[in-house]
Amino acid sequence: MTALEIKDLSHFYVKGKNVLSNVSLELEEGEILSILGPSGCGKTTLLRIIAGLEKETGGSVLMNDQIISDHFHTVLTENRDVGLVVQERALFPHLTIINNVMFGVVGSKSERHATAMRLLKLFKVERYAYNYPNEISSGEQQRVAIARAMAPNPKILLMDEPFGTLDQSLTNQLRVETRKILKDNKTTSIIVSHDFDDALSMSDKVIVIEDGTIIQSGSAKDITHISREKSVKFSSIKANT
Amino acid sequence: MRLSFWEITPVALFIVFIAPVAIVLVSLTGDYSDNWTHLYQYVLTRYIANTVYLVTGVSILVTIVGVGTAWLITNYNFTGKNILEWALILPLAVPPYILAYTFTGLFDTYGTANNLIRDLFDLGREFTFFPKVRNVPGAIIVFSFTLYPYVYLVSRMAFINQSRTMLEAGRTLGLNKFQTFYKLGIPMIRPAIIGGLMLVIMETISDFGAVDHFAISTFTTGVFRTWYGMYDIETAKQLASLLLIFAVTLILLERYSRKNASYSNAMSLYKPLYLTKLKGIPNILAFTICFTPIFIGFLLPILELSYWALNYKLDFFNDKFITTAWNTFYLALIAAFLCSLLAVIINFSIRYKSNNYLKVMSSFLTVGYAVPGLILAIGVMQMLTYFDQSFISEISNFVLTGSIIGLVLAYVIKSYALASSTIESGYQRINSRVDDVARTLKTSGWSLLAQVHMPLLKTSFLTSMLLVVSEVIKELPATLILRPFNFDTLAVYTYIYAAEERMYDAAAPSIAIVMVGLIPIIILTRMIRTSRPASRD
Repeated sequence: MTALEIKDLSHFYVKGKNVLSNVSLELEEGEILSILGPSGCGKTTLLRIIAGLEKETGGSVLMNDQIISDHFHTVLTENRDVGLVVQERALFPHLTIINNVMFGVVGSKSERHATAMRLLKLFKVERYAYNYPNEISSGEQQRVAIARAMAPNPKILLMDEPFGTLDQSLTNQLRVETRKILKDNKTTSIIVSHDFDDALSMSDKVIVIEDGTIIQSGSAKDITHISREKSVKFSSIKANT
Repeated sequence: MRLSFWEITPVALFIVFIAPVAIVLVSLTGDYSDNWTHLYQYVLTRYIANTVYLVTGVSILVTIVGVGTAWLITNYNFTGKNILEWALILPLAVPPYILAYTFTGLFDTYGTANNLIRDLFDLGREFTFFPKVRNVPGAIIVFSFTLYPYVYLVSRMAFINQSRTMLEAGRTLGLNKFQTFYKLGIPMIRPAIIGGLMLVIMETISDFGAVDHFAISTFTTGVFRTWYGMYDIETAKQLASLLLIFAVTLILLERYSRKNASYSNAMSLYKPLYLTKLKGIPNILAFTICFTPIFIGFLLPILELSYWALNYKLDFFNDKFITTAWNTFYLALIAAFLCSLLAVIINFSIRYKSNNYLKVMSSFLTVGYAVPGLILAIGVMQMLTYFDQSFISEISNFVLTGSIIGLVLAYVIKSYALASSTIESGYQRINSRVDDVARTLKTSGWSLLAQVHMPLLKTSFLTSMLLVVSEVIKELPATLILRPFNFDTLAVYTYIYAAEERMYDAAAPSIAIVMVGLIPIIILTRMIRTSRPASRD
């Protein structure tokens, strides 16, 4: 089943200067897609449009074959059933870790608590459940941010540069762990990154955007091959582990 | 298109807030009397020059005192710091006109201070040690040392929320402590400083009591003299309109200067500051720098007023006093809560709806602060009279004019800028990505406000209430005009005595104003200290 379909999507902030032009893509349920591209290429805008945080100026977005945004319809962010992880983590500083993860979960308090604890265990941060965000490390905060986004069991998980501020060894470890959890949970996910390694080690499919247009798309291995040949200017290209 | 609560409320509030001001401004389109020609030809230039001189001097001194003390308190540990931290806001409880009265009593030729010097050194009666204070430099000192807490509070709040990592990065790049303060600390909190400074300027240009006592011709004294001296309310309103235009210009300039200077902290990356322990001379210097404004703005007037009160009479703790103090206190709390709540709703609407029209409208809501209380009261009174005559009288015997509603409305309009500026500063420190994430977690509108923003704005909300309470307790002209029959506040008592220069009589109610003003300041200061977000320590 097609979890997400984007048709001829365009967007501009200033008329005549398109941030995205005729972007189309499809994502099957449980697939992990990486959107690659240099800073300012429009990849974050694409993610925000999928989340409903921006309104596209042209084209349409469909989830599970239902239109959620086009010229005539707009489903609000809070009704789209998407999860969002941002580079800054944006954990709620006034809530403990467990309350952060419970925040978006529906149900009785014990059910919400159980869901949150299960995810915290999955991400190996359950011992910090009653700490505040500023009392744990950046890597732990990032795990909590992903756990929080997954907790309400969203149809699609959107991650914007999720490992952007972490050191290399922590990033490598988190990539492996996060991919395993996403796959085990069959969570359809989109990862926006400017780092090839994120894409190669985590995703099933990759698209490369430059100046608001998709210039390459395919499996992670295809993209590595094509990119090497065409010398797309990104950070170091490493073999898929 | 269906409008939501978040779009309708700012528009409704805009209409209510602007109506009294519009009533005043409409006078510009009316006939101009001979009094206006006289003012224009002979005194208007002096009004403008004195006002600009005053505002410039106050701005410079208030920035130095407010930001300097906030930086010391936030970054260093020194003798008395825990007391000075909250004591620095005590001058908020002293209205400029009360400091002006006590300054005159202290430093006049035959004032307490000069008498003390003469007695100590056995000097002749013609000898004066302290210079005259009833002039513009004297007024600059009076305003600066009563109003600097506005800048201190917002600067301190902004310094507290500055991340240690950012300042440490500066140190590793070769900046010394002063350069870190000047090149990193200050630019990062510039929006907060400008916000606080605007409040000080608006307070200065709309004051009447202090400048009148010092016989300095400014716009406000001009408006009052035209009204009471020439009995020409139309010309007074026309003059007030010019002041209003000046205030609007200030607001627009402030908005323009902040256009590209809005900084938000990535809350999750926030690391609290380490405090440096000071010893020896730096310790004494830091203590002196922080103690001096408290001494001039609070201790000195309190000592002088207590001296007057004890040497004359202290018979004001009767039923009448208690009723008056209660009236003052509950009015201030109602106005402060309403004002802060409205400021939260408006600032939330702007952020939530990302709407530039709402932003512009919000700027205009702050105009009331710069409108002299007396003129605002006229506008409110005329507006309520219109409502009474057109609608209310048709359905009930109740009249808005002369009820507590008019008074609260005037207080809310007058104090809204204080509340809005504080809440806006609070919002600047909440990363907008927090909202994005909350919305994907199915939290929007009221839930977003209640579950995410309000807990993070708690300190700002309490600070806002603190500022409004202390403002309302001191507010005099609007209270005089709009108070219900047989309804007194402490400010009214003080005014009656002070206007007749019966300072010994005015001393007791003046102390009471300061004391009543202190209660919320102390309570709220304690709450602010224990309500820092995201920390157990």
